[in-house]
Amino acid sequence: MTMNLQVEGMRKAFDGRTVLEDVSFRVDPGQVFAIIGPSGAGKTTLLRCVDFLQRPDGGSVRYAGREAPTDPASLLALRRRLSLVAQSPLMFRGSAAYNVSFGLCVRAVEGSELTRRTAEALAAVGLRDRSDSAASKLSAGEAQRVAFARAIVIRPEILLLDEFTANLDPPNVRILEAAVREFSASTGATVVLVTHNLFQAKRLATRVALLLDGRIVESGPVKEFFEAPQDARTRAFVQGDFAY
Amino acid sequence: MLTLAGDIAAITLLSVFISGTSTLVATAIAVPLGVTLGLREVGSQRLLRNILFTLYGLPPVLAGLLVFLLLSRAGPLGSLGLLFTPLGMVFAQVVVVTPIILGVTMSVVATVERRVKETALVLGADRRQLSITVLREAAAGILTAVMVGFGRAISEVGAVFIVGGHIETRTQVLTTTIITDIQQAEFGHATLLGVILLVIAGVVYSLLYRLQERTLP
Amino acid sequence: MHFRLGRRWLAALVAGVILLVAVGVYISLPRGYLLMATTTSTRDTGLLPYLLPEFTADTGIEVRYTAVGTGQALDAGRRGDVDVVMVHAPSLETQFVAAGDGRCRNLVMYNRFVLVGPAADLAGVRTASTTTEALRRIHDTASRFVSRADGSGTHTKELELWAAAGLDPSSFGAWYERTGQGMGATLTIANERDEYTLSDDGTWYAREDSLAFLSLLYGSGDPVDPVLQNQYSVIPVNPATHPAVLGERALEFARWLVGARGQALIGAFTVNGHTIFTPNGVGAC
Repeated sequence: MTMNLQVEGMRKAFDGRTVLEDVSFRVDPGQVFAIIGPSGAGKTTLLRCVDFLQRPDGGSVRYAGREAPTDPASLLALRRRLSLVAQSPLMFRGSAAYNVSFGLCVRAVEGSELTRRTAEALAAVGLRDRSDSAASKLSAGEAQRVAFARAIVIRPEILLLDEFTANLDPPNVRILEAAVREFSASTGATVVLVTHNLFQAKRLATRVALLLDGRIVESGPVKEFFEAPQDARTRAFVQGDFAY
Repeated sequence: MLTLAGDIAAITLLSVFISGTSTLVATAIAVPLGVTLGLREVGSQRLLRNILFTLYGLPPVLAGLLVFLLLSRAGPLGSLGLLFTPLGMVFAQVVVVTPIILGVTMSVVATVERRVKETALVLGADRRQLSITVLREAAAGILTAVMVGFGRAISEVGAVFIVGGHIETRTQVLTTTIITDIQQAEFGHATLLGVILLVIAGVVYSLLYRLQERTLP
Repeated sequence: MHFRLGRRWLAALVAGVILLVAVGVYISLPRGYLLMATTTSTRDTGLLPYLLPEFTADTGIEVRYTAVGTGQALDAGRRGDVDVVMVHAPSLETQFVAAGDGRCRNLVMYNRFVLVGPAADLAGVRTASTTTEALRRIHDTASRFVSRADGSGTHTKELELWAAAGLDPSSFGAWYERTGQGMGATLTIANERDEYTLSDDGTWYAREDSLAFLSLLYGSGDPVDPVLQNQYSVIPVNPATHPAVLGERALEFARWLVGARGQALIGAFTVNGHTIFTPNGVGAC
């Protein structure tokens, strides 16, 4: 099962300050869509709106062509097909395995299937031997890997990554990026990656978009985007003329 | 009118029974309610909180008086025949202890990191699963609420005196006996019972602390 | 798995609550014993722990009591929360029966009131020839006096005595103090603060050893000054107005108290070597 994501004209303001002005883009299954831009540009807000943590002031979001349902049961069902990894994860009280299997338990997966899939997810992020460690005792990098495993073990159709390797050391970044690649290749899911790291975007993305002043300034396939950007602002951004 | 060791044991047992039962009942009512209310981020919560803080300050003697009037044969629940009985005393203490456990639970749940709720929601938790997750994360704080509640119950004297009547061998507990001992100048006996009270509280608290340690991350 | 853990604790909690409440019901209902409301002085003299087991041995009926002030004891009867009432306030008792709450009033026994106070007795109570004179001396010397002020039989008697001496306590100065408590507590306070007070002799003799700074000053001579007599009565609560009371057992208790056996036991009761109660039982039920 796959699902594409279509955002049109999204608007969001906080306390009179407009964060998202008119954001539109589309991500198809199998793609890794990177959204880059300066900090505070609204990238996190965008993802939170997609995953129903916040409500946009205007615009629409379509999942597999349909807007989100209004009745709670259907909305919950839709939500369970999405996953989000935030920048610094929150670990629940318990072991790494407990955290990873949380989403499975929510979806009433139990017994040997739960154990198997949990072990697989932990192995995918190189933490098979830390399965029973207390999650609160994990390092920042390990915790983020657990959070990633927790997000993908449920086989989401749309995976949202919000600066998910920011502040991590290179070994952890490598492991997580490899896991993203593996996930995308094996499931063909729709992946949206918000990052301010241009190099990461180059490494992981199939398409890239620049979010500036609340709008998508330009988007395109990764090669063209970096080698031959069309918009002057894009050119300035990828050349490093912006501080970000 | 010194009582023998067996009598002291009986009095102690009844004290523990009444305070333990009322704390448990109050927990069963207050914790689910507290988690539910604590999770709601509604403006009307201010009204609720005002009501709750007033109930916090409900003097146990007043609670005792109200329960007395309720359970008396001349009162609305008189046909139950619960006045001057241990069950009536449990009822009175439940009235005293529930607002306390409720308030602390609500407070603990409201201050559970917002990210706990968000993470659970993002992972697809429904309301029931969210409540249980929050409860798990707030478990240490909730056990504190229970400890505070029990402390209030075991040391309470006004309500149990009024509703229980301090009937020897029937509704006689440690705290009411300390009062009557003092009235009869049996200070040594009163002190002994006071020490027993402290020991009980200490034992119960250490058990709850041990439980609480297991709930820390 | 994650959310079933919550279920296990919840199930344990609910089971625990049900079990404990069931135990609570078992030890609370039904009330199989005769419940009496009486005054603290009946308890403080030690009479009840002496007398009641004898009644139970004779009749097989268990009696328990709640010792509160006279006012509250009669109120408990009025509410139908107790089966029988034993107090020492004749005027209030008569009202109680007249209102239909009491079935019948049986005189049981009397003891006496005495004046106790500091051994130095600066007011000269010891040498007074009448109760009125004794109280006047306390008033005129503004010696500290503590009153129970709790609507009890003792307090009622105290007010009557002041009135008989032509004095009004509401106009007294700071030397007149009020505790609002029972006899034992009031005696303790009088002892701490070197005060005069009116006490029933039973509580006095029971507590004498712990009241080092007080002495019995007036009223212990024979015959008892009628004005200092403290009459106790036992009144079964009226089942006609309060159907839930154990009417038959209450009757049996009252009859036993005023019968030969009860009266003999009462007459034989001593506190620290003093016989304090004079049985004068009159059955009216």
